[in-house]
Amino acid sequence: MTVPEISALIGIGLTAGVLAGLLGIGGGVLMVPAMVLITGFDQHVAQGTSLLVIIPAAALGSFTHHRHGRLALRDAAGLAVGGVLGALLGSFTALSLEEELLRRLFAVLLLVIAARMLMTRTPTPEPTDPEAT
Amino acid sequence: MTNMVSTSVRPNLLILAAIGLAAGVLSGLFGVGGGIIMVPGMVLLAGIAQQRASATSLAAIVPIAAVAAVIFGQADSLNLPAAAVLMVGSIIGVQVGARLMTRIGEDRLRIGFAIFMIAVAVTMLVS
Repeated sequence: MTVPEISALIGIGLTAGVLAGLLGIGGGVLMVPAMVLITGFDQHVAQGTSLLVIIPAAALGSFTHHRHGRLALRDAAGLAVGGVLGALLGSFTALSLEEELLRRLFAVLLLVIAARMLMTRTPTPEPTDPEAT
Repeated sequence: MTNMVSTSVRPNLLILAAIGLAAGVLSGLFGVGGGIIMVPGMVLLAGIAQQRASATSLAAIVPIAAVAAVIFGQADSLNLPAAAVLMVGSIIGVQVGARLMTRIGEDRLRIGFAIFMIAVAVTMLVS
């Protein structure tokens, strides 16, 4: 890695971290396009790298939640059973796709997330109401 | 779904596994965590409170991202030094973000960022 590349990556990580905290969206959505457009990574490499970066952040965050008693381990295990299977399916699918097609699909994902962000207001702290769906 | 949801609710594990499956596919396909699916999924389909859903989703992301990262790594689609540098930046960034949280109006920030993301998406579509 060159010095400009390292500086760019530190900047990307910093920005993704700050925005993830502020907006409540994951760092991956921010890091992947940044790696593709700024450091010129291949879409597949950007995604694989993003996945690895997410792990320690999620582990650290969930440990903090666990200490505060906000984490339901049973529920997390349920999610993980389906999640690991889905991750296998998704990863092999992504790797079988052409770089350009995967990049375009990712752009569509960004558009969907942006639309959702534009439509939701800041949630008001109300008790969960099953009728409100 | 007429029963009232309480904090002592024990959500159906099959529903959770189904939510996890969808999140896992998204995670593996796009290199993201999958919280985008899991948090609303748990709130809307399993009646879990928002804060608990966020915490639980974060824990599920660990094995999901780990499995996907291994598969990408085996396909040589992972830049290990870059990941290390990004981790350093993001750990600092999260601390900064947590401190800034109270100072910026959340709505304005979100709308501004959504517009920025649309620009990024268009750039990715045409490049």
